[in-house]
This record gives sequence, structure tokens and C-alpha cells, in this order.
Amino acid sequence: MAPQARIGLIVTAIGFFAGVWLFLAPFIVEYQKVGQDWIDATKNDLWTGGALIAISVLTLILFGAFALRDAASAAEQRSTTEEGEN
Amino acid sequence: MTKYVIGATGALLGALAGVWLMLAPFALAYQGSGADWADPTYVDFWTGLPLLVVSLVGSILYISGLVEELRRRGIVRRPYAAPAGQPQAQGPPQANASNQDNNMEQVLLPLVTAMLKDMQERDRERDGARQQSTDDVQQPQHTGEEGSVRR
Repeated sequence: MAPQARIGLIVTAIGFFAGVWLFLAPFIVEYQKVGQDWIDATKNDLWTGGALIAISVLTLILFGAFALRDAASAAEQRSTTEEGEN
Repeated sequence: MTKYVIGATGALLGALAGVWLMLAPFALAYQGSGADWADPTYVDFWTGLPLLVVSLVGSILYISGLVEELRRRGIVRRPYAAPAGQPQAQGPPQANASNQDNNMEQVLLPLVTAMLKDMQERDRERDGARQQSTDDVQQPQHTGEEGSVRR
């Protein structure tokens, strides 16, 4: 895997953790009291955090799937060329 | 190749989320303009700004990976790259010029050699034909001499 892709994956993982932080922040920082109606800031943080988590997870899964597909096709091509040489 | 497009799209969406987080307190009006920042504003702004920066870096990396992949597959050419099979010219302009002359000589040498060989063959053929024609001309004289009655 190219080094850019590796660092890109780390960045996507950071996005995932930022989403988790946003999801929990209203309750950790305590600007949202448990049991009370959600204020606008809480709703915004939960929706944005949820969207970030979804985007990051989807990106990681799809990136991994396509990277595996590329690796499989490269291995297949290598084995066919080796057979052709022998 | 698709993986880089997916990664770049994800990173760009993350950057957009970062921009939204920075603007949301003011857009949704839970932060009054001019008032001291409340806790939700601090959280959103200071989460949004690093997220924006990190996502932009990520999208740049994914796009550079995509460009590298495209170059590797030969879809995109490297800018100012020498064509395959030719040594890349380096050094001062004079050295470049001499290198170009050498390359030109290398290209023209087989052509000139083939032309010379062709010309030599033609000359040989022409000489052969001329010699044959002179023999033909000389032969009847001999025969005439042989056939004639000497007195």
C-alpha cells in the first residue's frame, strides 16, 4: 500500500474518533443535562458526530474492500505471468 | 484506483463537516454574536477546526495517491518526463545540446549506413552492367574478325 494511502487511512480514523467525541461531548462537557430535553447544540453535535462516524466507517470499509480487490487482482496477474514464463 | 476516490470523497465530506461545526453555533444561533463563547461553541469550533485541517491533509494525500496510481498505469504522464527508452538529459544546456546531437547521430547512423550500402550495391550493379555491355560490343568485332577473310 502506498504511504499516502496509509496516512489517509489514519486521517479517516481520526475523523471517526472526532465523530465519537462529538457524539459524547454534550454529556462529557455537561452542557446537556441527562433526562432533560435536548438543546440545539446537543442535537447538532449528535447529528454531526453520527454523520462523521458513518462517513468514516463507510470510507474505511470501502477502502479496505477495494484495496483487497486490487491486491487479489495483482496476485492473480502475477501468478498468470509466472505460469506464462514457466 | 477506486479506493483512492472513495478515500478522497470521505475526507472531503469530513472537511465539510469541520466547516459546518465551525459555523453551526452562529448558524443555529445558540451562540449570540458579541457574547462570550459558551461551552457548546468552544467544543464545536475546536473540534471543527482540527477536523477541517486533518481532512484536507487526508484528501490531498488520497488525491496524490490517485495521481500516482494513474501515472503508474500510464493514464497520466509525468510532467516534463522524457519518453520511455530515452535517457533523461541532465546538466547544463550545452551538455543537453551535445546530448541531443549524439542522440541525433545515433538515430541517423543506421539510416546513413543503409543508404551507403545501397549506393555501393547500385554502383556495383552499374559497373557490372557496363562491363557486360562492353563485352557484348567487343564480341561481335571479334566474331567479325574471325568471320572475315584476311587477305
